[in-house]
Amino acid sequence: MLKSKRKFLAGISLVTAFAISGVSAAVAQDIILTVTHDGQSLTFDRDALEALGTETIETSTIWTEGTHSFEGVSLARLMQEVGAQEGKLIATAVNDYSVDIPLSDAVEDGPLIAMKMDGAEMSLRDKGPLWVIYPYDANSDYRSEVVYSRSIWQLDRLEIVD
Amino acid sequence: MENNTISRAKAGRTIIAIAGLVVVVAIALLTWNVRKEIEELSSARSDNVQWSLSQAEVEFHEFSGRIRTGADLAAVRKRFDVFYSRIKTVSQGKVFEDLRSDPEFDGALTEVQAWLDKVVPYIDATDAELTGNIPTLSALVQELHPAVRTLANSGLIVFARNADERRADVAATLIELAVALAVLIGALGLGVLHLVRLNRQMRDQERSQRQITTRMTTVINTSLDGVIVSDDRGRIIEFSPAAEEIFGHRAADVIGKELGAVIIPDHLLAAHEAGMQRMRDKGELRVIGKGRQQLEAKRADGSIFPVELAVQSAVTEAGDIFIAFLRDITQQKADEAELVDARDKAIAGEKSRSEFLATMSHEIRTPLNGLLGNLSLLRDTTLNPKQDTYIRNMETSGRLLLNHVSDVLDIIRYDSGKVVANIEPMNVSDLLQDIIDSQSGMASKQETTLGWSWNGPAQHWITSDRDRLQHVLMNLVGNAVKFTKRGRVSVKVRWHEDEITFDIEDTGAGIPLDQQARIFDDFVTGNTAYDREVGGTGLGLSIAKRFVSVLGGEISVDSEFGKGSKFCFTVPATRAVPEAGKNRPLAAPVATKPLLVLVVEDNEINRFVVREMLQADGHDVTVAHDGQQGVDLAAEKKFDLILMDISMPVLDGRSATRRIRAGTGASAASRIIALTANALLSEREDYLADGMDDVLTKPLKKSDLRRVLGQGEQAAVVSTTALINPKHSEELFEVVGAQNYQNLLARFNAEAEKLIDWLQSDNALDLTDIANETHKLAGNSGLFGAVGFGEALTAIERAAKAGEDAKLISAVGSLPQIWHRSKKALAEIKPKE
Repeated sequence: MLKSKRKFLAGISLVTAFAISGVSAAVAQDIILTVTHDGQSLTFDRDALEALGTETIETSTIWTEGTHSFEGVSLARLMQEVGAQEGKLIATAVNDYSVDIPLSDAVEDGPLIAMKMDGAEMSLRDKGPLWVIYPYDANSDYRSEVVYSRSIWQLDRLEIVD
Repeated sequence: MENNTISRAKAGRTIIAIAGLVVVVAIALLTWNVRKEIEELSSARSDNVQWSLSQAEVEFHEFSGRIRTGADLAAVRKRFDVFYSRIKTVSQGKVFEDLRSDPEFDGALTEVQAWLDKVVPYIDATDAELTGNIPTLSALVQELHPAVRTLANSGLIVFARNADERRADVAATLIELAVALAVLIGALGLGVLHLVRLNRQMRDQERSQRQITTRMTTVINTSLDGVIVSDDRGRIIEFSPAAEEIFGHRAADVIGKELGAVIIPDHLLAAHEAGMQRMRDKGELRVIGKGRQQLEAKRADGSIFPVELAVQSAVTEAGDIFIAFLRDITQQKADEAELVDARDKAIAGEKSRSEFLATMSHEIRTPLNGLLGNLSLLRDTTLNPKQDTYIRNMETSGRLLLNHVSDVLDIIRYDSGKVVANIEPMNVSDLLQDIIDSQSGMASKQETTLGWSWNGPAQHWITSDRDRLQHVLMNLVGNAVKFTKRGRVSVKVRWHEDEITFDIEDTGAGIPLDQQARIFDDFVTGNTAYDREVGGTGLGLSIAKRFVSVLGGEISVDSEFGKGSKFCFTVPATRAVPEAGKNRPLAAPVATKPLLVLVVEDNEINRFVVREMLQADGHDVTVAHDGQQGVDLAAEKKFDLILMDISMPVLDGRSATRRIRAGTGASAASRIIALTANALLSEREDYLADGMDDVLTKPLKKSDLRRVLGQGEQAAVVSTTALINPKHSEELFEVVGAQNYQNLLARFNAEAEKLIDWLQSDNALDLTDIANETHKLAGNSGLFGAVGFGEALTAIERAAKAGEDAKLISAVGSLPQIWHRSKKALAEIKPKE
């Protein structure tokens, strides 16, 4: 189930330290996502991403047990933010795993760039900090090999190419 | 049969429907199954498991590669976290469930997890501590290496195995699907075949139905009888063209209407309605299926006419129907009535004709009797020769006249079928000699020689009807003598194999060829002057021919005009044993003792003649003027003989005889002889039935009278011959043997007595039954030669059939008498072995 909940947080807020899974210190606002588009790079910290407005997807995944609630920025919103309209995304993970996501996937009620699972931020050990989540349960089209491969976790870079 | 087919087709359809449903469900299930398999394949919960596993190993190496002195601690931590998350995914992810169930994999995984738990504190410690523990970590990393390797490898093996199983499953499911499809196609094929067969059957049925309908329509339309079909409520369904013709209705106007309103006459309507109601209520059928019946029907114009109809019922799907075949029998009825009328008239005409002739002959014979009787008496007185000649001439004329009357009577008797041959032993030589003797006078007058001889060995005694034979021979010989002057007449007799042949040949005038063919017809006489001179009624030869056929023989003529003629006749005649004192009444008058005789006769002349004749022979004669007087006298005095006239005033001879026999008077058992001018054989039987012993025909001849008187004790024989034909009982005896003959006779006696009892019972008897029963017994009577009894039975049968009550009562009344005498006679017959 997808619950839409937009929060507009002004500016960069100080987020209190995290005590999740041994993340050592919470230095104010690490860059968690770099988006490269038309030769320009945009960087987002957690607050910047949240500022774009978040949505929630309730779904199970093949990599986890049970249903979980994923909260994050919808890919569509992000693409709108960066002004990308066509082409594809090259999504790359912390370990340099990389996969292509066509821009056509960035639709309403489509994939999220999840920042929280079950209301908690995700550590690297929990496939954080960002995880591309499709609403698998809501739409059987998303329960395919291709979509699973696009569900990249430990995401930290996005490049938009034509 | 049709129902059968229908139910079979129904069952077939049900089976097909169920089979189809089963196959469809099976295919749906399989399809769902295949779809699931495909979905499983396509939705690939698996992600790229292999890749994930090998990636875990890669991440491990990435991590392990950073464990060295002076390592970048952030990178070490990052790499550890990536590896940690990888293992966490493997231990939690749904796609790895299958793998986790593999013990080897699970063991390796558990080991890795335990290792991770052990290492986490080192990684999460401060930078200084981590740096200090690098060597420890390096050792730990080396320790884990094989487990990570195993994890990747066993995952590969399990995965490959699962993939195989999955493929096998898919293949199996596809095969199942193929089989199900094959079954479905087979079932559909069978269904199609079944439908094709059903279709063909239906077409065949339809065609034969059409043919039957066409045939039926043709039959109904061409039937000469009207055909009307109605339903069980009497409404008309079919009305054939012939019915239209008969009733004057058009089919289109009456179909659907009530039968009663259309063709049933008003006076039968109530009965019709009641009948239909009965049939509906109780299924009672009175007209239907009972064959042809005659009823009345109504035409369109309201006229009533007779119909013959047959109704049959049939059961159809729409309920019972009734099929009536009707025929207008108006014409038939009219024809029948006309025919009956014509028959009645013909019978009446025939009856009046023979009655007229019988009466006439009686009326002629009675005065003639008087004349001849008196002449006979006159000759016994003293006469001079001249007077004697006159008397002889008068007698000749009288007898000629009597012969003519007798000829006419013979014809009547023969034509009314009343002439029956009286076959008995006789001496044919004596007969011929008598005839030749009687004709010799005439022959000598014609200067013609006359004689007879046996042609072949002589057979004097034969069985035949002496009187008929005498009549025929007398006629033929008489003719030959009449037409032969100065010539020769010869009679040749030949007996051969139970047949006797007489050739009467003359050298006389001969017969022209054109007349030979019709010489035996009635009233044919030669038309020459010579013939007229000879004279004749023209009945002689036709009577001869009739008598020959009565005897079962044939007569023919062969003649050449001017040269002579030869008449030839052959009759059956079996060899007989000689009987003394028979057939020679003329030659051997019987000596008699004086008798007490009662003569009952109303006619004065006749009475006088008879009395004179009897008294001349020395008998004591008492006379009575009518039947009543006769009865009274017979009661008082015992007579040896009663001569009884038939037609008399007050009380006729038959009634008088019955009263004498029925009473207990002195003469109740005396011999009674009928005197009559009517000598029809059937009447003779009636007289015998009344209790008379013999019949004498007027005019009374002395010789006859003497014979009757002299026979006395032999009278029984005479009446026996009249009642019984012994030849028949002899035949029966020969066929069945002595023992059986007695048994049969006993049974016949019992039957006869039973029938007589039945006829005389007081119960009301059905005429048809009477006719049937008497007919049966009459046949048996013939077997035993009980001719008289048989004739009496036949008379009853005839009267019963004609519905003539008076005749019937009289015939039944006389039956016991005849039976009594017949029974006695039959008992006396001792057939030869």
